[in-house]
Amino acid sequence: MIWQELNEALVLPGIDAPSSDEVMRKVGGAFIREGYAKDSYVDALIAREKDFPTGLDIDGVGVAIPHTDVSHVIKQGVAIATLREPATFVQMGTDDETVGVSLVFMLCVIEPNEHLEQLKKIIAIIQDKKVLTAILGCKDPQSIIEIIKNKEESL
Amino acid sequence: MKKKVIVACGGAVATSTVAASKVVELCKKNGVDIEICQCRISEIESNLPADLIITTSKVKRDYGVPLITGMPFISGVGVEKTEKAILDVLRG
Repeated sequence: MIWQELNEALVLPGIDAPSSDEVMRKVGGAFIREGYAKDSYVDALIAREKDFPTGLDIDGVGVAIPHTDVSHVIKQGVAIATLREPATFVQMGTDDETVGVSLVFMLCVIEPNEHLEQLKKIIAIIQDKKVLTAILGCKDPQSIIEIIKNKEESL
Repeated sequence: MKKKVIVACGGAVATSTVAASKVVELCKKNGVDIEICQCRISEIESNLPADLIITTSKVKRDYGVPLITGMPFISGVGVEKTEKAILDVLRG
């Protein structure tokens, strides 16, 4: 279950990050501080996002799932952030369509096939607009974790 | 005959892993025998020939093989249409 592994230090409601680069620095920085990622992680995220953008427009809610090569990762983890003001990301599968992102699920992935079930759950969570809207309304990490828990239990 | 499907994304880390598993489930359910090759976009060429390429990133090159976007498996929008397109190519 994802919610059991969610570290409260990686759940960041209402951060100020006006650009995608700033999202990478703030959320990726939390991964580095908490020992999930190497110092190279943030630069690697920013570089990868330029080549392979991760913005998604989920029925009007802007979500991004930044992640990067396993070589920058120390251990598996998920970080969740909501943004005070949307940051512009390019949409995945395009090179010029943008989306204003309010919700970020950042991933530290080491061995994708071992974590397939986790990845599928995260994708199921971000496809549920009701869950996204509920997370956006949260002011503290614990209520976000509670929403993820309830959603996972329904999967 | 077994069909080869390449599923690719930027780093072969997250989105292609999820898309590949959805394609495997889809084909199993519909009795289509496939071999999956999951890789990075940059590795597509070295994994050819194939019967179908599915990507979650924009690909401008023409590999001479049908190419379908796997984005619906990530966004959840338009999944049925994509599944039908995949089956049409593999059964064709």
